[in-house]
Amino acid sequence: MRVIRSILASAWMGWQREMKWTNPALSLFVKAVAPTAAVLSAAAVYWFGSSFIGLFTPERLAYIIVGASMYSQVAAYTYVPTAAITEGKWSNLYPQVYITPTSSIPYLAGRCLASFADSVPVIVISLAVSYYVSYALFGSPPSITISLTSVFMIGGALVLSIPAATALGYLLGSYSIFVSRFEWALPSYVSGLLMIFSEALFPANILPYPLSLIAEIVPFTYLMRASRAALIYNSWSMYLNSMQYLALGGMVFLLMGLVAFRKAENSARVKGYIDKKVM
Amino acid sequence: MQVDFNLWYRTMYSRAWVRVRSTYGEPVWVAVNLAVPLLSSLAMALLYRSTGLSRFTGFAILGGVMLAFWGNVLWSMASQFNWDKETGIFEIYLISPAPITAILVGMSLGGILATVPSAALVTLIGWEFFSMSANPSWMAVFLTFILTLASLYALGMLLSSLYLTYGREAESLNNAIGEPINLLAGLYFPSIGTGSPFPFAVQIIASFIPLTIGMDALRKSVFYSGGVEAIWLDLLVLAVMAVVLLFIGDRALKILEERGRREGTLVVRLR
Repeated sequence: MRVIRSILASAWMGWQREMKWTNPALSLFVKAVAPTAAVLSAAAVYWFGSSFIGLFTPERLAYIIVGASMYSQVAAYTYVPTAAITEGKWSNLYPQVYITPTSSIPYLAGRCLASFADSVPVIVISLAVSYYVSYALFGSPPSITISLTSVFMIGGALVLSIPAATALGYLLGSYSIFVSRFEWALPSYVSGLLMIFSEALFPANILPYPLSLIAEIVPFTYLMRASRAALIYNSWSMYLNSMQYLALGGMVFLLMGLVAFRKAENSARVKGYIDKKVM
Repeated sequence: MQVDFNLWYRTMYSRAWVRVRSTYGEPVWVAVNLAVPLLSSLAMALLYRSTGLSRFTGFAILGGVMLAFWGNVLWSMASQFNWDKETGIFEIYLISPAPITAILVGMSLGGILATVPSAALVTLIGWEFFSMSANPSWMAVFLTFILTLASLYALGMLLSSLYLTYGREAESLNNAIGEPINLLAGLYFPSIGTGSPFPFAVQIIASFIPLTIGMDALRKSVFYSGGVEAIWLDLLVLAVMAVVLLFIGDRALKILEERGRREGTLVVRLR
């Protein structure tokens, strides 16, 4: 019960940090602008390239819009540990969390949940705006089907991605504990690599072998596949297949993340990194 | 008011030197600055390749090169005074006789020199991965590049003076404006002229962003061997933009500095 309370308190704090720096509507707008523009950039690149050789298809446009919109959530997770730990060390929050018994793991889980909560509306906005703007710009509606079933399916995929997202939080948190400079470096690389290796914009088979295999072990690839199965292909078999890999990959990643974070935290305590500030 | 050119030059040199020294003295900075432009441009180049158009992968790589500079303008120019305010350095600037415009110009020159390694690495890695075919007209490329950087960094000076009035909103604002400008400026695809997906009205709006004109001229001169005579209008617009933005930036800085002094918001620290 105490752990749940810690997770909820941390989630609430994360929500306040992300959304309450101004009024929530403006904050949501500001948060949604960049991912939506990024989705439209990818869609425009596809339109420019494919229309040049007459291979434009609404289905492929939908593939890019869905993938790029879902990627905005994945990218948001990569910055959670830096905001929670590095920034927390700077503001003296993290050392205080650390000295309360067994609180840092629920603390990071809560911050990941907050990121989940504030990035879901961003996905909805970026999907909706990108759909209508690309319809207006390219003259062809992306083949996205919104129904009660597809919404239910995409909701399920997002919920099932939480273990993988939390795992990413713990893995990057293990790094954040130790850094006192260049704290945004690794999250930037991880976020950029996930754009390439999670099938956010293109199928993994475009990548040269064996790089294409990396996508198969990244749980977020299955989030993309499940989302496309729900919104584009309306295929339960594809969806369920991706969901089982998403769940399995998420649990394995979560285990790895917890072990890495626990080890990093112990090592940081011994070496005095817990309260070393970033200036 | 008489300008002490010696003081102005020394201030500019010192600020530029700090920025250059911090990058070249700590090569990890190059790796840090490389992440976003390199991986974004690789992703866009792969997207081009996945549509069967490998010949346009160069557009994506060129976008990555300019993203390195644009990122530097946003995060190391626009936000810099805000961070300096937080850490107390801005107070020192204010009480010293150093001209603020010289600090900004030094920051720009230092920023450009510090971003060159990241931009060069994006080019090299992109070239190696995608075997791009370019047909550059070097004089036109050189002039476009210089004028684009001049106008971009002049925009950075203007933003930096505007951000002086902001607190932590500055970071959110930076996060918010980066991608829409990448989209409108056509960092990875033509956003004005032939091949643009945007209606004419949006293209007009996009043309007010220096990066849009710069990218358009760079694409013409790097990939279609457009010489100076083919892009003279772009060069003229970029030069005018640089001068106008520099002037507005200087005026805005003076006004906001004065207002900040009166209201006592210039030295408010967040830490």
